[in-house]
Amino acid sequence: MKRKEATSSLPDVGISQVLGLVSHLSSVGGKEDIYRLAGELSMELGETLKVIRAAETLKLVNTPGGEVEMEPFGAKVVDASIHERKELIFEQLQQIPLFKKIREFLDEEDGHEASKEMVLEKIADILPNEDAEHQFGAIVSWGRYAELFGYNDDSETFYLDQ
Amino acid sequence: MTPQPEIIIDVENVSKKFLLPQGEVTILEDIQLQAQEGEFIVIVGPSGAGKSTLLRMMNGLVIPSAGRILFRGKPTRGINMETAMVFQNFGLLPWLTVLQNVELGLENRVKELDRRRERAQKYIGKVGLDGYEEAYPRELSGGMKQRVGLARALAVEPTLLLMDEPFSSLDVLSSINLRNELLDIWSDRDNVVNTVVLVTHIIEEAVELADRIVILGSRPGRIAGNIRVNIPRPRQKRDPLFLEYVDEVFSLLA
Repeated sequence: MKRKEATSSLPDVGISQVLGLVSHLSSVGGKEDIYRLAGELSMELGETLKVIRAAETLKLVNTPGGEVEMEPFGAKVVDASIHERKELIFEQLQQIPLFKKIREFLDEEDGHEASKEMVLEKIADILPNEDAEHQFGAIVSWGRYAELFGYNDDSETFYLDQ
Repeated sequence: MTPQPEIIIDVENVSKKFLLPQGEVTILEDIQLQAQEGEFIVIVGPSGAGKSTLLRMMNGLVIPSAGRILFRGKPTRGINMETAMVFQNFGLLPWLTVLQNVELGLENRVKELDRRRERAQKYIGKVGLDGYEEAYPRELSGGMKQRVGLARALAVEPTLLLMDEPFSSLDVLSSINLRNELLDIWSDRDNVVNTVVLVTHIIEEAVELADRIVILGSRPGRIAGNIRVNIPRPRQKRDPLFLEYVDEVFSLLA
């Protein structure tokens, strides 16, 4: 029997923060104790964990025990140029269940676009226990960064960036 | 014989006084500073040392009380159109999209709308903002907002890029990310701008970025030291040599 793929939410943190985390990790040898990391960056532990979780969702890092450790994909992203980095994230987002589902949803819509309202409903359907507005924010920012999704806030239209 | 790199900006014995209710106050005294083509200069000093004033004199926004500023060997007058500035608080207009904010910087420089759009698009791409063209500043994180500020400055294709505490409003991780990307853009050979003067109050930032660090002491601001940083990039904060430079700058500031 095929196991149902679990969909996890994406913490609503800045992309620059996630990219900063992997750069920092790379500059300290690719591995660090989470508690120590928060200390040396003078970051609040909760905030640090949010960024780490976002990086983990994107498979940039792994968190064995109390440590955060760079994944080979994370190292690749650090070494990439500004442009290549976006392409790598584009590939990666398509592997993440939440983004996959949103993409499938858009593929079924006319013109590969939908109103914000419809997307919020879809998100509530996929992640019933999460704040849909927050998830929408995270999907829009990562989607824009990777040039996978676009969003026009004037018309509240969400679309596939082709 | 290899030709000497051109001196882009030459600050000659510049002082700046402001008239305040309690009398005349000297902000900067006898500043001498040169930036050669291709150099990345970081001016580091405590707040109130007049760093921003010095930067604003380099682009002609503030006029020196004494001394003069030469740009490519010629005395400057008025706003210098060959410079562009990146601000601490981004300086974006909230009712304009990313694309419109970048285009705005070109309004007085590129007449045709098509060419303006093309140019804006090119630099939006350079800073990794493709896909954000129609976003409004309110939809962006601090890191992304400052990328817009950077794209707007680069789009001008300035000879000299001036940066006023560009990472100070960002959270620590976003600033790490943006510093790295700034170095990527600066070291890109196709890039038009290769001479940068950046001001900061963070010593580690200066050691990470600079070819040369100019240390500004305060009240009045005077040059307290000038250090060439001989560490290959990318520089690692835990490298003992890195820490030696941090100590040296710190001792000159204290």
